Amino acid sequence: MGGTSEKTINLKLKIWKQNGPDDKGHFIEHEAKSVSTDMSFLEMMDVVNEDLVKAGKSPVEFDHDCREGICGACSMVINGNPHGPDTATTTCQLHMRRFQDGQTVVIEPFRARAFPVVRDLVVDRSAFDRIIQAGGFISVNTGNAQDANALPVPKVDADEAFASAACIGCGACVAVCKNASANLFVSAKITHLGLVPQGQAERDERARNMVQQMDQEGFGACTNTGACSAACPKEISLENIAQMNKDFLKASLKDRS
Amino acid sequence: MSNGTLNSNCPAGDIQSRWDNHKFSMKLVNPANKRKHSVIVVGTGLAGASASASMAELGYKVKAFTILDSPRRSHSIAAQGGINAAKNYPNDGDSIYRLFYDTVKGGDFRARESNVYRLAQISNNIIDQCVAQGVPFARDYGGLLANRSFGGAQVSRTFYARGQTGQQLLIGAYSALSRQVGLGKVDLHTRKEMLDLVVVNGKARGIITRDVTTGKIERHLADAVCLATGGYGNVYFLSTNAMNCNVTASWRAHKKGAYFANPCFTQIHPTCIPRSGDYQSKLTLMSESLRNDGRVWVPKEKGDHRRPNDIPEEERDYYLERIYPSFGNLVPRDVASRQAKFRVDEGRGVGPTGEAVYLDFLSAIKRDGEKAISEKYGNLFQMYEKITDENPYKVPMRIYPAVHYTMGGLWVDYNLQSNLPGLHVLGEANFSDHGANRLGASALMQGLADGYFVIPYTIGNYIASNTIEDVTVDHEAFKEAESTVRHRLDKIVAMNGSTTVDEIHRELGNIMWNHVGMSRTASGLKEAIEKIQTLREKFWVDGKIVGEANYKNAEVEKAGRVADFLELGELMAMDALTREESCGGHFREEHQTPENEAKRDDENFTHVAAWESTADNGGNKIEWQRHKEELDFEYVQPTQRSYK
Amino acid sequence: MDLNTTFEADKDTVVMSSLLRLVKSTIGSKSLVGVTGLGLSLFVLSHMAGNLLILVDPKMYNLYGHALVTNPLIYLAEMGLIALFLAHVVKAVLLTFVNRQARPQKYAMASSGDKATSAVTKTMWAQGLIIFVFVILHLFTFKFGNYYEVIYDGEPVRDLHRLVVEVFAQPGYLVGYIIALLILGLHLSHGVGSAFQTLGFNHPKYTPMIKKISCLYAFIVAGGFIAQPLYVFFIYKG
Repeated sequence: MGGTSEKTINLKLKIWKQNGPDDKGHFIEHEAKSVSTDMSFLEMMDVVNEDLVKAGKSPVEFDHDCREGICGACSMVINGNPHGPDTATTTCQLHMRRFQDGQTVVIEPFRARAFPVVRDLVVDRSAFDRIIQAGGFISVNTGNAQDANALPVPKVDADEAFASAACIGCGACVAVCKNASANLFVSAKITHLGLVPQGQAERDERARNMVQQMDQEGFGACTNTGACSAACPKEISLENIAQMNKDFLKASLKDRS
Repeated sequence: MSNGTLNSNCPAGDIQSRWDNHKFSMKLVNPANKRKHSVIVVGTGLAGASASASMAELGYKVKAFTILDSPRRSHSIAAQGGINAAKNYPNDGDSIYRLFYDTVKGGDFRARESNVYRLAQISNNIIDQCVAQGVPFARDYGGLLANRSFGGAQVSRTFYARGQTGQQLLIGAYSALSRQVGLGKVDLHTRKEMLDLVVVNGKARGIITRDVTTGKIERHLADAVCLATGGYGNVYFLSTNAMNCNVTASWRAHKKGAYFANPCFTQIHPTCIPRSGDYQSKLTLMSESLRNDGRVWVPKEKGDHRRPNDIPEEERDYYLERIYPSFGNLVPRDVASRQAKFRVDEGRGVGPTGEAVYLDFLSAIKRDGEKAISEKYGNLFQMYEKITDENPYKVPMRIYPAVHYTMGGLWVDYNLQSNLPGLHVLGEANFSDHGANRLGASALMQGLADGYFVIPYTIGNYIASNTIEDVTVDHEAFKEAESTVRHRLDKIVAMNGSTTVDEIHRELGNIMWNHVGMSRTASGLKEAIEKIQTLREKFWVDGKIVGEANYKNAEVEKAGRVADFLELGELMAMDALTREESCGGHFREEHQTPENEAKRDDENFTHVAAWESTADNGGNKIEWQRHKEELDFEYVQPTQRSYK
Repeated sequence: MDLNTTFEADKDTVVMSSLLRLVKSTIGSKSLVGVTGLGLSLFVLSHMAGNLLILVDPKMYNLYGHALVTNPLIYLAEMGLIALFLAHVVKAVLLTFVNRQARPQKYAMASSGDKATSAVTKTMWAQGLIIFVFVILHLFTFKFGNYYEVIYDGEPVRDLHRLVVEVFAQPGYLVGYIIALLILGLHLSHGVGSAFQTLGFNHPKYTPMIKKISCLYAFIVAGGFIAQPLYVFFIYKG
């Protein structure tokens, strides 16, 4: 029983420090002593920061919020892996029992041109928001809706739509992709809305506008390495990207403008 | 201490037609004029995002603010179980009236009937709206929406999207908001924290914000201000709230004159993962929906340290099923939490700390199969396993209550307007609909009701029936507010003692949990007030901040929030002390029935306590005045709640 | 100019602009790489099949080549092939630049364990580069290489067979060729299946099959090509 067998380990941390988007940045080294293996990774970082503050040193900035794996705020790359070594896991849900005593742990920010570093491990992911603003919605003003059961949605479609909509917008897909491509993120939204009947009216326009915005933000292209899906804490599948490609190609060829 | 009575501005007449009549009697802003009016919305969770989107759709110029890097991260996203609506799709006898009745009763008769009825009416529109936005609710094989049951109800009225309902609803509201941002109708400000409310000649007209990445202080002006900044559960340090949840926006507004209502009404959620160590930063909720299939039990013997699967059936006490045969494991949250605490206090708690009870799925798995259970709760089970390293398909979950939601909040009238004209408060940040205890799957409902279907009407009424003075951000009130904010930040940055902000916060959390937690006593509350005052002094004298406020510095952000919690905590204790009764989540040990149930004092406490901040001389002594809003129960007669 | 023509002209430019947008987009570019890649895959398959005639008979081998180059459609075919090849290469190179720019700063460590990706898929651009160089050399060696003639039934025919035997007698060339073709095999093993994904086909039932077929295809093409020099070097006795 894990909850009862508390152990402690010592770790050598190499943590990225960077004052702002224009600063070059560098690694600092920190010894984390007696880390309980029941801690989450972020709790370990809390302790590191508390130590740093007590020593009068500037703590490490990192994004985090819900610590339940759903808000998508936490965003570090741990030993080369976004959200650390475990699949289907966000950094906040990663626990220290996954690490060995004496291990060196390298902690970096998500690196992508479209995600400039704000400070230390905090990056600016507003590019994702702008992509959604370009078309990641169904245009239905409040009050316009018909009865919720008026349009049946086959369970299979509803389940698939849910699987795509499970994306938490954390950006791990971009972080792990050698091309810093946002294809998995964008395609998950296009697929989600394309699977429900309510999303059909704007389907073509949505695909065109979102892809155009994605390209403008400076993300790379997909080269089908599958890294994104492997790193995705919500295990969004590559099927989404194929679906997006199909929708986008179709929509572009149909485009009358 | 008490004086003054607040007017809720509830419309009169038949409860069924109150909202319709009110909508008709409210003044309108003509479509062409709407674009001349602006509204600030602080917070982009369910209430804030839906309000911003809906008001922008109507034509108002909206400025939306969030402290997070994206509206999609707002903590509404973490709601798991579902959202209630009186659709009666399962044909099991539900109705608007029943939802209304259950909610008033669930709130232990401390909510406003008119508001709750409106909430129940609107609940159906919410589901329609969300489905139209593409929210992928669970469906059955016919393609129609599925429902499940939640605590405090005997009908299945909860719509859900696996264990991620909040996420899906927030993404829906976020997409509606994003659409308006893309259209240029909403000016979205991310990573900006509201640090003060600006009141011009008695009306809320703007806010002062700090850009948390650059430290830049800005003034923002509008015709009206809406706060949708969530609850204050983080005053307990450990809660199921996200790390950035805080009371600062509400508290700053409170300090500017807005009344804080029923601060002691906090919800302790019965099914959370127990804490495991001192480093613990937050607690994780396991959705209440789990109680649909999970059975709560403890060993019959005290101090039984056998593994749960080694304890035979007849030596287990399924205490909720035993005490409450008709609701069983689905009693409301306050009741379930209190019963868990009683078991632990008796020495029958389980797990390494003894502060837990079992939530067992083995019989459900035996009945429906592992696949069915995994389809319903897969992600929750996975989360549990990640945190505890135990497989809940094989070993019963260990759960314990944790602070989850705050029913109290800024006082608002039927129009969601606070006592400060122009200041509107939505969602968890206000106090209005849940009384002393919120039923499961009602928070999402209330947030969206306020944002989609209430504020778009009432904001128009406010704007149309008030003269909005033509002022700029150079007005004295803005200057004054900004200088207060700067002064406070300087004070924080200058803190150079030896105690970290987190240490103070943790200490505050301990005081709150021990004395203003699941059960409260007069002596404990008095002790808490003294301790909080001392701690507040310690914070300003011995707190430690490293670095400056002109770049991203989480310590500075946290310090400002903890400073406000240190004041709020005292008010919560005071509110709990003056409310000499037990009701819902507020359990005073002095006031209980022989069966240890909450015992209300309807004669003296059928009212909302709304606190006015009267004196803050800059020192440690803060004073409040208690106002009352009397509650009338015309439709649901207050009775001793019974779930037996 | 009457109104109608202006309208038509406008419409034309508009049509262009939407197609141009498509071609310029990352997904459009990538699809072009995919489509041209599939075309080139078919070409290498047929090329390989033709090569295998060497196992049958030198005369048949030469006559097959002769039939190809004397076909009046050959120029059209060659131009098409060049267009495919150039589009494939140019788009891939441009995309590689975009992709490089998208990640200006590298990580200190590479992803690993469950989150690691196969080296083959990550190095498609490098394989492409090698294949590109190889193709140029290959053309110089064979298409524009020494011209020998042989007379079959009174008609002069290029004796490609002799050239092939000559070239592959050199162990250095043999090894280089085999390495290049193995790289082509790797390129195809990912590329063929990947093109389906790029062009919008991914299905939980069929995609794993497509991936296997893609590998098989690559194995057949590379194996078939490699069979020729091995045969020439080790088995063929002149």
